[in-house]
Amino acid sequence: MRDFKRSGPMIQMRLTDYEATLLESLVEQFTGLLEADEQEPEAGDSFARWQAELSGSDPLDHTDPVINRLFPDAYPQDPAASGEFRRLTQARQRSNRLGEAEAVLSALRDTDGGKRPVQVRVIELDSWLKTLSGVRLSLAVRLGISTPDDAEELDALPEDDPRAYVYRVYEWIAYLVENLLGLR
Amino acid sequence: MAGESAPEQPGGATAVSERPAESALTGWVTIVWDDPVNLMSYVTHVFSAYFGYPEEKATDLMLQVHNNGKAVVSNGSHEQMETDVDAMHGYGLWATLGRG
Repeated sequence: MRDFKRSGPMIQMRLTDYEATLLESLVEQFTGLLEADEQEPEAGDSFARWQAELSGSDPLDHTDPVINRLFPDAYPQDPAASGEFRRLTQARQRSNRLGEAEAVLSALRDTDGGKRPVQVRVIELDSWLKTLSGVRLSLAVRLGISTPDDAEELDALPEDDPRAYVYRVYEWIAYLVENLLGLR
Repeated sequence: MAGESAPEQPGGATAVSERPAESALTGWVTIVWDDPVNLMSYVTHVFSAYFGYPEEKATDLMLQVHNNGKAVVSNGSHEQMETDVDAMHGYGLWATLGRG
């Protein structure tokens, strides 16, 4: 896993099979949060998605703090204006996020379970960065990281604490982001 | 950042350079708040990629966010600021609209 190489329009990222599978599953969990129930229009049908959004049905679970972090109040002092902002922006925001995640998933699946290096297209780099950052945000919420001190406490956890593993994954994704940023 | 000089790079400069004048009339700003999750390098990248700010200005804004807890990253009309806040959310940054 210490292998990031850029050649022209492609970045090669070497992951172990374990890492490739782990990342794929994390990104799938992330898209799962953004996808809705069975009534949801087809992913490609943005008009139907937009219509559903306009009709007032909000497919996202806003009691989930991860969703709140990904779709924060645009007007902190004004819940009505924040709701209106969300109504106007959320459908496209979701479909963008899902499209970006799909680019990542497709590249990960092309590695054949980590047998080949991940081919990151430089023109899709922002999709990678946004998706990896989104995954990190959702892990941070699950880990309860809301201050820098929280992260330091997690860093000091004994290895047998289940959160220690999740925290290492969280840090590993930061490592991927840093390396990809270095090759942009 | 209101009153900041216009960006020197061509990318995004057209939209951004009009903002100070408009802000005198409309007075809306995009505020990005500090969070302990997003990497400093990533936040700098977002400011430079989306707004077209030169590396130095993007880094300066990132440091303002990091050290002061927040920074005004753009200003302009209400509609423009909604677009900017929406874009920041798309990058996973915690952004809000405010009056300039």
